[in-house]
Amino acid sequence: MLLNYLKLAWKVLLRRKFFTAISLFGISFTLMILLVVFALFDYTAGPHRPELRTDRLLFITRMKLVVRTGGSSNGNVGYAFLDQRVRTLKTPERVSLSQGFFSTAVAYVGDQRLKLDSKLTDGEFWQVLDFDFVAGRPYNVSEVRDAAHLAVLNETSARRYFGTVAGAVGRAVVLDAVRYQVVGVVRDVGLSRINSYADVWLPITTTTRNLRDPNYMGGCQAILLARQAADLPRIQDEYQQAVARAPLPDPKVYTKVVSYANDLLGSFTNRTGNEGGPDGGVGSLLRLLLSLGLLFLLLPALNLININVSRTLERASEIGVRKAFGATAGELVGQFLVENIFLTVLGGVLGLGLAAGALALLNASNFFAYSQFALNGRICAVALGIVLFFGILSGAYPAYKMSKLQAVKALKGDAGT
Amino acid sequence: MIRHLFTLMWNRKRATGLLILEIFLAFVVLFAVGSVGVYLRRNYQAPLGFAYDNVWHLDLDPGTQPRAEQFATLQQVLQRLRGTAGVVSVARSSGNTPFSTNDNSTEFRAKEGTDKPKVGSDFYYVGPELREVMGLRLVAGRWFDRRDEATAAARRRPMVITEMAQARLFPDGASAVGKTIRDNDDDDYEIVGVADSYRAGGELSEPRPAAFSYVSPQDTAHAMFTLLVRVRPGSGAALEKQLGDDIRTGTPGWISSIDALSEQRLTKLKYTLVLPGILVIVCVFLLLNVALGLFGVLWLNINQRRGELGVRRAMGATAGAISRQVLGEILVLTTFGLGLGLLVAMQFPLLGLFDVAPGIYLTAMLLAAGGLYLLATVCALYPSRLAAGIQPAVALREE
Repeated sequence: MLLNYLKLAWKVLLRRKFFTAISLFGISFTLMILLVVFALFDYTAGPHRPELRTDRLLFITRMKLVVRTGGSSNGNVGYAFLDQRVRTLKTPERVSLSQGFFSTAVAYVGDQRLKLDSKLTDGEFWQVLDFDFVAGRPYNVSEVRDAAHLAVLNETSARRYFGTVAGAVGRAVVLDAVRYQVVGVVRDVGLSRINSYADVWLPITTTTRNLRDPNYMGGCQAILLARQAADLPRIQDEYQQAVARAPLPDPKVYTKVVSYANDLLGSFTNRTGNEGGPDGGVGSLLRLLLSLGLLFLLLPALNLININVSRTLERASEIGVRKAFGATAGELVGQFLVENIFLTVLGGVLGLGLAAGALALLNASNFFAYSQFALNGRICAVALGIVLFFGILSGAYPAYKMSKLQAVKALKGDAGT
Repeated sequence: MIRHLFTLMWNRKRATGLLILEIFLAFVVLFAVGSVGVYLRRNYQAPLGFAYDNVWHLDLDPGTQPRAEQFATLQQVLQRLRGTAGVVSVARSSGNTPFSTNDNSTEFRAKEGTDKPKVGSDFYYVGPELREVMGLRLVAGRWFDRRDEATAAARRRPMVITEMAQARLFPDGASAVGKTIRDNDDDDYEIVGVADSYRAGGELSEPRPAAFSYVSPQDTAHAMFTLLVRVRPGSGAALEKQLGDDIRTGTPGWISSIDALSEQRLTKLKYTLVLPGILVIVCVFLLLNVALGLFGVLWLNINQRRGELGVRRAMGATAGAISRQVLGEILVLTTFGLGLGLLVAMQFPLLGLFDVAPGIYLTAMLLAAGGLYLLATVCALYPSRLAAGIQPAVALREE
């Protein structure tokens, strides 16, 4: 029976090619926009290299000092604060400290100038995250302790500086007139992975800044790897206790120290002022995004409902005959829903194609550095979900209307209200 | 006929309420896009006032050097730079260089005259070489020269303003040269010349009055850590490396960072256009939906009124008349939606929101309304052809 419905659906769509075409266009365009937005979201906050194990990772990126007279100071966290209070946490499997936001280093190659984004990290950085090394190895904990001048480059920078990728290991790169030896080359990391993104990674001990500065605010962040996903709340609690134990920096000026360990998505929503609270305000952000997405779908759905109602009125005589021969309302509703979902699935396939094209365009334009957006399993699943939801949403009311047509009136041609 | 159409559509407002709402939304977004577009275009057409090719922005960081020694080091840096082959001219400047993320502004008022309006203006501390570095054009008076070194320390500092500042400070059309103006800190400035324009914010920023305050070569208080350097055409990374190395080796602990103004301009353009870009995408989405909605409603309409249209044809209406009726109905529908949208859009110029000239809003409203009418007409073409194709005998027989 389903096969018959599908064949019927195909014939019905071909009957009015123009309106089928514009419906398909509307569905695919809407789906394209939604999928591109979701892809951007997924590639920023979903599990991708180097933050592959997002279910076991926590990020401490922001420090907020509440001022007595009102307002607050916000910024990344000081190295000494993290070293004393976060490295000593017992629950995480491993703790890594790194620079909070990348800085720029200038290198001169021949008669070209290269501006490289650089990030200072410790040795545990490579154990907490999953980078894809194409050559060489990362610098380890003892090398960082000795403040060795070693560097890890990404593929594109190695190619631009040395002309080769594998041959870059062991050679020297001069950044801001300081010499470093290249010890490893990794695959490019996209700008959307902002916690780990850089063109070149250097040991944090080679910095000229004072790592012992007792100021709670500084330029650093911490990434914690838990033994298992269930440990995350315990680590967050342990960190809150450590923050509560930390003495107020200047009790005459400040009243409170606020800092949270968030998961990857929470670290983004909390990036400005820690206003999100312990979970980073993720809940309210997801609700907002969901309601916006629904609103986005509502408009095309309502338009499709209109078109579908017209379509059913055209088929009034056919429906009248079927009802006269004993088809129940339920059967007719089922048939119409199948036809509508067939249309939306067609539109969905087109939308996936358009989205793939749009993402390829984004990659080519290099608007987000080193972006490698592509359709993965999650995005396709979301597409399927949206398409089914859309099909049911836009098909329910016309199907109901169709099933309510009186057989006698339909056969007489008086179906229009 | 038109009154007839309006009555017809008004009676059917409940059924077409959704479409009117869509048109209203589309108009509001189209109006927003139009306003931004007209605003940016108008800014783009105003003259920039300077040339940014072959000009580099040099940032100096004295590190931990004590304040007292910094001026001497700055002199060394300037001397080395000016002696380097490939460097045409070097000017000291405050941090708000063209295309930077910094800005500095104050308010001026004329000291003499009866009508003394307060004029907000961008404020730049610059050395005398800036005219050569940036290619500034003067329309009255003179640029800074050696005479100003003596008066700089005096009560009234020398200043050059732009034509826009002159027009606002002296609305009666008097020349500003020789007059004195005062800022919010009660400092007095004597105007020695008028330049034509200077828009450091870039081509897309709103034109504002600007004023240059003289920084003498002996000044130790202002414009210490930013330099604008004009280099010979064709200078590239080699010269940049040489300048950076010279500064690093020749001075105790000073670091420099060099950026070409043309690169900074592209970065600023990118950031300015992101939000309008997103707005355009949302607008396209809404217009698409309006089109879809119009098609759907029209088709539904025509299907439901086959009998009525059949009667009209039987009574002698031509195909053209039927088409015109359908088109007319759709335009009336659009007008309803536009009417609601205009109510909202009118608030913008009436309340003077965003400090934008009312002319921009009116132009945007006209463009948005015209765009929607065009869209409605295009959408009505195919369905009206369908309606005109109804055979009266076939339509009436179905009753």
